[in-house]
Amino acid sequence: MAGLAAGTIAAENGLETLMLRTGQSATAYSSGAIDIIGYPPEGLALKEYLPDTEVPFKTPSDGLRAILTLFPFHPYGIIGFGADDDKVVESVIAHVKESISWLKERLAGSCAALIGGFERNIYPITVLGTTKPTCLIQETMWSETLNANPDNVLIFAGFRGHAEFNALSTTRAYLENQLRTGKPPHKVGHCVLEISPFGKPYNISSIELARHFDHDGSMVDLAAAIKKHVDQLGATHVAIPPVLGIEQALQNKAELQKELGVEVFELVALPPSVPGFRLQRAMDRTFKNAGGTLLIGHQARSAIFKNDMIESVVAQSPRREVTISPKTVILASGKFIGGGLEADENGIRETVLDLMPVTTNLHPAEEVRPVYHTNVFSLSPDGHAVLGAGLAVDMDFRPIDADGVERAKNLFCAGSILAKYNYSLEKSGLGVALSTGLAAGRNAARMAKEVS
Amino acid sequence: MSESDFDVVVIGGGSTGTAVARDCALRGFKTLLLERDDIASATVGTCAGMISSGLKYMDEPEIVDMCSEEVVHLNRIARHIIMKNPILTPILELSDLSTGGNFAAEYSKRAESRDVPPVMFLEPEAALEIEPLLNPDLISSLYFEEYFIDPFRLCLLQALDAQENGAVVKTYCEVIDIVVRDSTVESVTFYNRVTGEIESATTKTIINAGGPWAHKIAAQAGATLDLRLNKGAHVILDRRVVNVGVITKAVDGRMIYLFPHENTTLLGTTALDTWEDPDTLVATHDEIEYLLKSIEWIIPSIREARIIRTMEGVRPLVPTWKVPEGEVTRGYEVIDHESEGVSGLVSFTGGKLVTCRHMAEAATDLISQKLGVESKCTTHELPLPGMESDVDVLSIAKEYDISQHALERLRARRGTQIMEILDLVKEHSNWRTTICTCEPVIEAEIRYSIRNEFPQTLNDLRRRVRLGTGPCQGTFCTYKAAAILADELDLTGEDYLVDILDFRAERWKGIRPPMRGPQLAQEEVAQGLYACVGNLDQIETEYDPKPWEEVG
Amino acid sequence: MTEEEAFEFVKNTLKEERITPYHKNEIEIVHSVEGCINCGLCINHCPVVAAVGVDRFTGPRSIAVELSRSPPEFWSTADKIYLCTGCGTCREVCPKNVNVPEVVNLVRARIFEHRPDLVPKGLHMVREIIVEHNLAFEPWEDPEEKVESRDVRLERLDIPYTEDIIKKNAEVLFYPGCQAEERAQEVREAAKVVLNYFDVDYTLLDDMSCCGLPSALMGDDETSQRLAGLLKEKVAGLGVKKVVTTCAGCTSNISDISLQDQWSIPVYHMVEYLAEEVGLDRLKQALGSSKEFSEVTVTVHDPCHLIRHTSRRTMQDAIEILKVISGVKVAISEAEDSCCGGGGLVAYHSKDVADSVVQENLISIDKTGAERLVAPCPLCTAQIEANLFKSGSSVEVDDLMVFIAQRLPKK
Repeated sequence: MAGLAAGTIAAENGLETLMLRTGQSATAYSSGAIDIIGYPPEGLALKEYLPDTEVPFKTPSDGLRAILTLFPFHPYGIIGFGADDDKVVESVIAHVKESISWLKERLAGSCAALIGGFERNIYPITVLGTTKPTCLIQETMWSETLNANPDNVLIFAGFRGHAEFNALSTTRAYLENQLRTGKPPHKVGHCVLEISPFGKPYNISSIELARHFDHDGSMVDLAAAIKKHVDQLGATHVAIPPVLGIEQALQNKAELQKELGVEVFELVALPPSVPGFRLQRAMDRTFKNAGGTLLIGHQARSAIFKNDMIESVVAQSPRREVTISPKTVILASGKFIGGGLEADENGIRETVLDLMPVTTNLHPAEEVRPVYHTNVFSLSPDGHAVLGAGLAVDMDFRPIDADGVERAKNLFCAGSILAKYNYSLEKSGLGVALSTGLAAGRNAARMAKEVS
Repeated sequence: MSESDFDVVVIGGGSTGTAVARDCALRGFKTLLLERDDIASATVGTCAGMISSGLKYMDEPEIVDMCSEEVVHLNRIARHIIMKNPILTPILELSDLSTGGNFAAEYSKRAESRDVPPVMFLEPEAALEIEPLLNPDLISSLYFEEYFIDPFRLCLLQALDAQENGAVVKTYCEVIDIVVRDSTVESVTFYNRVTGEIESATTKTIINAGGPWAHKIAAQAGATLDLRLNKGAHVILDRRVVNVGVITKAVDGRMIYLFPHENTTLLGTTALDTWEDPDTLVATHDEIEYLLKSIEWIIPSIREARIIRTMEGVRPLVPTWKVPEGEVTRGYEVIDHESEGVSGLVSFTGGKLVTCRHMAEAATDLISQKLGVESKCTTHELPLPGMESDVDVLSIAKEYDISQHALERLRARRGTQIMEILDLVKEHSNWRTTICTCEPVIEAEIRYSIRNEFPQTLNDLRRRVRLGTGPCQGTFCTYKAAAILADELDLTGEDYLVDILDFRAERWKGIRPPMRGPQLAQEEVAQGLYACVGNLDQIETEYDPKPWEEVG
Repeated sequence: MTEEEAFEFVKNTLKEERITPYHKNEIEIVHSVEGCINCGLCINHCPVVAAVGVDRFTGPRSIAVELSRSPPEFWSTADKIYLCTGCGTCREVCPKNVNVPEVVNLVRARIFEHRPDLVPKGLHMVREIIVEHNLAFEPWEDPEEKVESRDVRLERLDIPYTEDIIKKNAEVLFYPGCQAEERAQEVREAAKVVLNYFDVDYTLLDDMSCCGLPSALMGDDETSQRLAGLLKEKVAGLGVKKVVTTCAGCTSNISDISLQDQWSIPVYHMVEYLAEEVGLDRLKQALGSSKEFSEVTVTVHDPCHLIRHTSRRTMQDAIEILKVISGVKVAISEAEDSCCGGGGLVAYHSKDVADSVVQENLISIDKTGAERLVAPCPLCTAQIEANLFKSGSSVEVDDLMVFIAQRLPKK
């Protein structure tokens, strides 16, 4: 997401933009939901510091304010570094808000069209029956009315032989939560549908269901299969795993709703999900439509530095090597999944340009043992500090060394290669990627224009 | 005799306890097996599974004889869960060559009976062709063959066979008191962790097979037991990084090994005396480094291999003190506490996986004598469940439309029992679905196991079907298997989520200590699933912290 | 027992245990697989999974994380491992660069060694031909018939015949590959026309032999290594400075073996050679002003062995070349993760799978509205042409070399 956002904005600014990519990014990995900020970093007990702020954050702006107050070096904080002291908060909020609008506009009408907005966090239901705070979600994945009426009846519909979603367990987990909180719906049921894209009711993957539903006429069978359960239970809402299609999901949702006369929405699935696939595809198209060139299968391996500038970047394809000489470079190589960072028992390193990585506390991370930056609990609000390691940057998102000096004047970075945020626990992943990507992309574009 | 009245109560569901329960049941004693956790959940669950011929203990010929004979017995009763382990011992220094020669002579004496060749010597070029990762400076290599057994399946099959023969097997039942009256045991009281109730059983004989907790169990009867607890760590590497097993000298002159095992490689072990609660132990950085450093001499590229986790276990050694661990006998002792005024209580110290059946035979002989019954041991003759005949994987793969590899893995775990699982598929077509993609494990096996092998948690399922033991360590199967467990056991939504958290915690216990390399990316993925999307890091549940978490 | 006898004994035990030790040059491939995080992104993109479902072909993720973990069990993967077309999409989308296409070959090599009975029969038939003739296709029995077939094709396509040039110390070896040598002879001839037109100092082999890729794909390592050695000898004997081929598979394979066996000369696909060495300016001069051909909208097929095994830049080159040809409009197909299904020798034993894989392409090709499809690979061309024809499509198919040769001014 960071690279695509940066590349797209650079291309939109009239620059000749080349994206080198090997492997797909966190975008494809994601659930497709664009989280801005849901929880404070590092399991901080916010009550002590900001007693009036509710956790999880009710709105992205609550969250951003809290972060800017307590964690000024969080990537969101860096966005505001250039602003006057009294305008930092407002400038960050304005940037994030604008980033959201930018993305919504670009994806409008695409297979990953979004709803939601900066004014609030929303709580979609996951395939585990839990809910999570996020900001934007694909239009197919949200029901505005679900929690509105105490008489609502929700039915979770799964598919036989599709192990990625178990309707019964989800129903139980979700229902117990609703009963605990007292929020509607209070009546929740489940059903299992028999849809087999290849004629066998076993080993069915999400992607093959989605491809199956992209075919014309596939909604007829699906609607018929759901209908009897809806009637039986008197359901007002149907939740299904996010497999309603890759290109056709929105049309399919509309068609189902028409056929069934109830609201239908997709759940948030564990990655890598079909909505993540849609988002990746839509973002790739956005980049290409903006005039960018995507060079897939090429891994940036190293760069040649001259004075305080990167002169060229060397990239490797399976059996060829290319050297590219750009005016500016944006590094959006991700964290451990993306391969931007690697670690052994002696320390963490940045893989492409051998930049200096830092810990989540902004200390040099070249000689830290990863295990000491993990938590004894696998899953807790404290998270694992090692996942907050990355690069430290200046106010323009240029990576800096131990003395605070930029490694190169024309090198910028964005996304999860940045230090001091842990997207999994904060629920801030694609939001930071988007916001920092746009910021770094604009900075790089500005510089490229100045150079020429 | 009432339902809570038993001839024998066996405490401890490890390799020895389950072997004793099986032997007692086969000899017709009314037997109760009590295990505070799950079958094979402690010492035996952290071993490599090698049923060694006793090669490390060449100066104890009678133990070597015993081990060697037990290998023959195990091959007779459990062939379906046994694999051959060809081993190279590369020699880098001349001085090690003569030690190797002595070992070769002693080993080779007993080789034929085990159906393995005598120790052979290979030229360096030959050894390097077999194992290109070896240090090219080697001057010679010993080659010999040993066997592996699936230690989890062995214990479980012993327990199931005991059950089949009338024994009552109760897991998650922790003994909290042993009542002794007139210097004779009368009953045991235990806490059932599944039901939350306190239960008791009367008996005149108790076999204490509590492993590293045996001294605590003895104390509940007012008896004393000295044990030398010694911990050992394994590093588990992804896939088979070596073609054959490699044994070499560690930094301190002990022997360590690198064994390809199933679809992983095991590097072990350390040996350190310990006084910690075994439940809280995890591998330390020093132990991991000891193993890597030691093997690095002989496999210089070992650090490039992916470490997926570590495991730490505790050996309940015979209490010989003031000698190095390696000099403590690998034999065992059966201790009759009658001499100290607790009649009816018998405890074990020492022992090894390979001798578990032998230990059971000795203890059961003693019980027979105490109960005044004449009985004959048959545990070395009667096969364990699943060994009836060979399984033709290729033809059943066609017949049932299941991948050959999934069935081959299933066969290796279960032998002919595979047919009972496939019967389920006939009825439930969709249970062919792969749940754990690393091993792989299909839904039918999980359902079968839940219905027939009394697992209570995903971790119990892991021991039975190898769920979540691959490189992803349950990242992608935990939530799927949890849903099946919840369905079969009719659990609440809360329990379903807690089961996910519990299994994550248990996997993380082993993943965390060696955390580095690709496992960091793997953990980022796992956090992506369960924290970022599932929100399980933030929502409140009734999760109970684990012993190692409380001290960590 | 002597050490030699001991070694024989041990080798025999390993054979019984079905273990073939990894060779030194395989260790890097195996090591790459350790990067797999089991995420399954590859499954979302695998064209075979898309075509037949994850139950029939468990996909690259399962090859990485399940099927390739334990050599003693490799035999049991035979129902899945031969369905991989080797397109390389998985490796490309994988954030860890797990080298699934190569690990597939490595597993197949072990099945070939230990359980030849489990290797699909169709592959054994190809193997016999290769072993006997050093070519992937049975050569023509009657050389005159071969000439006749060539001439019929050339006449139909209006491509002139030029004499073969075979000489020492030429700048370039033109290596047509088995398909263009024995079947699609027009591609071989078209390439010669192009090379002649641009005055390239080239030679052919006096005795064409296979580069060894098909043998590697079926797991016959011995033959593939023998063929690679043979080709190296021939190339060295001719004293050429570059190798140019018109086949996508040959491009990636010869690039590979030339590196491994230290040929020390570069290997190009013809599109790379034209774009880099001849240059777009000369191409434009030659192709940019002809009025002879009517306007045509052309779409391209991206051969897997070029875009995913060599470099995606090769197809950028191909498109640049097409764009300089007068009257040609290029319409890019939207097919993502496309594969013609012809790879990995899948069509030799599971034709239904190969044909399902190509379907996705056919739909996208039709959607472009192009009248003609060109592909810089005679194998892809044949596979797509046959399937387009079967589907009743009106789109015509050409190898890119034929398309270019036709449009060059007569010299």
